[in-house]
Amino acid sequence: MFRLLITRLAAAIPLMFIVATLVFFMMQLNPVDPTATLLGDDTSPEAVAAARADLGIDRPVLTQYTSWLGAAVTGDLGVSWFNGEEVTTLLTRRAKVTFSIVFGSLLIAISLGVAMGVTAALKAGRWQDRTVTVVSSLGIAVPNFWVAIILAAIFAVRLRWFPAIWTNSRTETPWGWIHTIILPCIALGTASSAAIARQTRSAMIGVLQQDYIRTALAKGLPVRRVIYKHALRNAAIPVVTLIGFQISALIGGTIFVEFIFNIPGLGTIGVESVQRANVPITLGFVMITTLVVVVANIFLDMSYAWLNPKVRRA
Amino acid sequence: MNAAPIDSLEPVDAPTGTPGAESSNTASGGAGGSRFWARFRRNKLALAAGGFLLLELFLLLVAPLITTHDPNQATSFADGLVGPGTEYWWGTDSVGRDIYARILFGTRFAFTAGAVAVLTALGIGIPLGLTIGFFRGWIDRVIMRVVESVVAIPAVVLAITIIAVVGPGLIRAMFAIGIVYSMIITRLTRAEVFAAREELYVDGARAAGAGNSRIMFRHILPNVAPALIVQTTLLFATSVLAEAALSFLGLGATTSEASWGRMLRSAQESIDQSIWPAFPPGIAIFVTVVAFNVLGDGLRDAFGREARGGRVGVGDVEKAKATEGNEPNPDSLVSVRDLSIRFPRPGTTEDVSVVSGVNLDIARGEVMALVGESGSGKSISALSLLGLVPDPGRATASSITLDGRELVGLDFDQLREIRGKEIGLISQEPSAALNPAYTVGRQIAEPLQYHLGMSKSEARERSIELMTRVGIPTPETRIDSFPHQFSGGMAQRVVIAMALTCNPKLIIADEPTTALDVTVQGQVLDLIGDLARDLGVSVLLITHDLGVVADLATKVAVMYAGEIVETGKLTEVFHHPQHPYTEGLIRAIPRNESRVGDLPTIDGVVPPPWEWPDGCHFAPRCPYVAPGCLEDDVELRPVAASLTRCVQAEELTLIGVNPAELAESTATIGAGPGSKDGAS
Repeated sequence: MFRLLITRLAAAIPLMFIVATLVFFMMQLNPVDPTATLLGDDTSPEAVAAARADLGIDRPVLTQYTSWLGAAVTGDLGVSWFNGEEVTTLLTRRAKVTFSIVFGSLLIAISLGVAMGVTAALKAGRWQDRTVTVVSSLGIAVPNFWVAIILAAIFAVRLRWFPAIWTNSRTETPWGWIHTIILPCIALGTASSAAIARQTRSAMIGVLQQDYIRTALAKGLPVRRVIYKHALRNAAIPVVTLIGFQISALIGGTIFVEFIFNIPGLGTIGVESVQRANVPITLGFVMITTLVVVVANIFLDMSYAWLNPKVRRA
Repeated sequence: MNAAPIDSLEPVDAPTGTPGAESSNTASGGAGGSRFWARFRRNKLALAAGGFLLLELFLLLVAPLITTHDPNQATSFADGLVGPGTEYWWGTDSVGRDIYARILFGTRFAFTAGAVAVLTALGIGIPLGLTIGFFRGWIDRVIMRVVESVVAIPAVVLAITIIAVVGPGLIRAMFAIGIVYSMIITRLTRAEVFAAREELYVDGARAAGAGNSRIMFRHILPNVAPALIVQTTLLFATSVLAEAALSFLGLGATTSEASWGRMLRSAQESIDQSIWPAFPPGIAIFVTVVAFNVLGDGLRDAFGREARGGRVGVGDVEKAKATEGNEPNPDSLVSVRDLSIRFPRPGTTEDVSVVSGVNLDIARGEVMALVGESGSGKSISALSLLGLVPDPGRATASSITLDGRELVGLDFDQLREIRGKEIGLISQEPSAALNPAYTVGRQIAEPLQYHLGMSKSEARERSIELMTRVGIPTPETRIDSFPHQFSGGMAQRVVIAMALTCNPKLIIADEPTTALDVTVQGQVLDLIGDLARDLGVSVLLITHDLGVVADLATKVAVMYAGEIVETGKLTEVFHHPQHPYTEGLIRAIPRNESRVGDLPTIDGVVPPPWEWPDGCHFAPRCPYVAPGCLEDDVELRPVAASLTRCVQAEELTLIGVNPAELAESTATIGAGPGSKDGAS
């Protein structure tokens, strides 16, 4: 188990390096000139040159790359081009918001999705199964940001059960925090649960037909134990794979719900920095979101080993 | 396609079905085109989805003809946020533009967006995948490293970053999406090429001197095509979602373009005044995406990728009326009367009988063999003793008694007291019978804890004793091993230990040696025989191989096509078979005699239940068949010392064998052919 962790971590480092390199050089192709935003009307060559020197983009690209990478390794992602704010500080603060939404959505997606999938599998061919199958097939086609718009319109704007606008003061108490992010979590989580339900159902149906389920029943165990102990753990493997994709998808999804609910998270700053060609923030945005996906996948890999003992010695 | 609009770096609808059952079986592109269309045409839902998408394409072309308002021009500001009505069918948005017109014109953007993204993805992904799949080596390693890294970036984040470089705008944004999707296509193409390479025909083409490019395009591409067609359809769906999402963020279509995503953005901006404008574009996106998904699923099914999962679950035995004078035998340990099992015939609504009128008596301490080919109904008959009739089968019996206790009518939980405690089950394939996720120790201990209320440590101690008893060396350490760490023979010993945990009165051994190596078959049979003798437990031994039972069983019941065709003492049945089917089984026993040619077998297989004839079920395969055989139902009746279901029993002189000699000779060559008998 420990060796597996080390191997996976070792594989993650070159991966992050490739991502950093790719994205850095890609951003060099960015056609927007940041000095135009910075300087406004003053476009004299001296002022532009001074601004470029200020930002450090007058240096050769390779020098820029090595100095950025060198700092990034130590956790320093540079400063925003436009207001000098430290990117690491800024993004860490916002990451807290974004990843609590991702986490909340994931909890909803997994509990709802697994419950629906298990129910459908146990009642395969009956009305419960047909309902889950139809609902989840339709569910994966609903744009999650549309769900967010509608939820916001009904529960935040109309009924005022939840805040429609982000206020820092409200999010200071745990309850206020949950109250603020619950609607975005529901919007993302329910959409995601459809995919998990489909996968759980088909995995469960496959597992329930295995001989060891009959063996467990033949031992006289209660159905509940057979399902939750013997079947679910084996059915979980493909579901865990899907959850890996869902984490990545949910991070993407937060960009939309942050926009709709005016939440100061990574997504809003990321899109803004892309639109304004604020390269340090854009790079940091990509690196942080990718890092979280990579780390999450390491945990999922570890869970495979727990779920499937055959993997442990691999 | 699910949570986030652009999350589709996930292989769409990845491995469904059982874990380990690979889904990359599209390489079997061998299914002819006509069969493909025949299958596809039967899928009404997919046809409807395809029709709907064609209709949308048509509307896209004629949109200017069937709208009365300009999609981008507000007629008058006073008309902002009008509800649906006769002037504006679906109302207007906040600046007074006709929503109906905008939705119809929006189709153009949706389809353009999909086309741009999908073509980009295919244009990059297919050549790249073919190249690296074909050349392999360092090119493959380097490119796959990069692809894997890129795939780690959340798809939306990656798309937005690419847009930062190529600039916003519908076409550019969808180009960015296409680059993201090309990663899936690359991996898919590469995987299919790898699979196809393994197939002989590529080697064959090589040997025939075809060049690399020729091999790629003539031989591999057609094989990759089914998977790509399915994936392309599904990518079209996600592209429609992606267009809407990016336009919503302001990175795709511009304000003057009536895209569905833009419409949602404008609806969101005026959401506190009216929620209505959010519905038409949302529904348009939803319906289009559903149509593409359904079409994609339909294509996948038509390509024969995945057989839909069957039903699951088990049922117990229901009460049936007893036939006259068919009372349970109070002296037997197990007494089954009038057991019948029916299944729905696949593809129809009617039921067929797979087991009918089975009576069975097992005395205390007796080993009873239930013999028959695959499909004769022997396994399912035995499982009904445990109330584990696989769904959707329905079993009925007038009585099943165990030690005098009536089991028919007990519900699932009442039967739990029987399962594992009174009746143990040893099944065919030990590796499948054990749960791969838990140590064997935990699995052996489970019934001890549940039925006997033992503590964990007591159960562990007892488990070690049991493992010792069934001949597993060093049980103290093996107890913490997982099933995959055992050989087949040792795993079957674990299963036997599990069946023994609560000192059952009966053990059902369902083809206990069929899945094992010939060399260990004899050992496992000996173990079962020893245990039966030492512990005084009765055994119901199910097998397709009479040779297996010769030195183990005292009584035999031969089953064919859902009926017991002969039953009696083992020596009688072996010496003097009274049914031609029994004779056939005896002739099929491998013997240590010098013989030339193949083992004689009974021609054909057990036909499916709906083809069983009236009268004698065996008649179509019987070498002695006479006109009288098919006239009436044949009853089981006493002939000589056995019961038989053959009308000609008295006239026929069937050839038997001496079981003692047989046991001797089979012992030296293992216990019968290693042929696998499917669940019957």
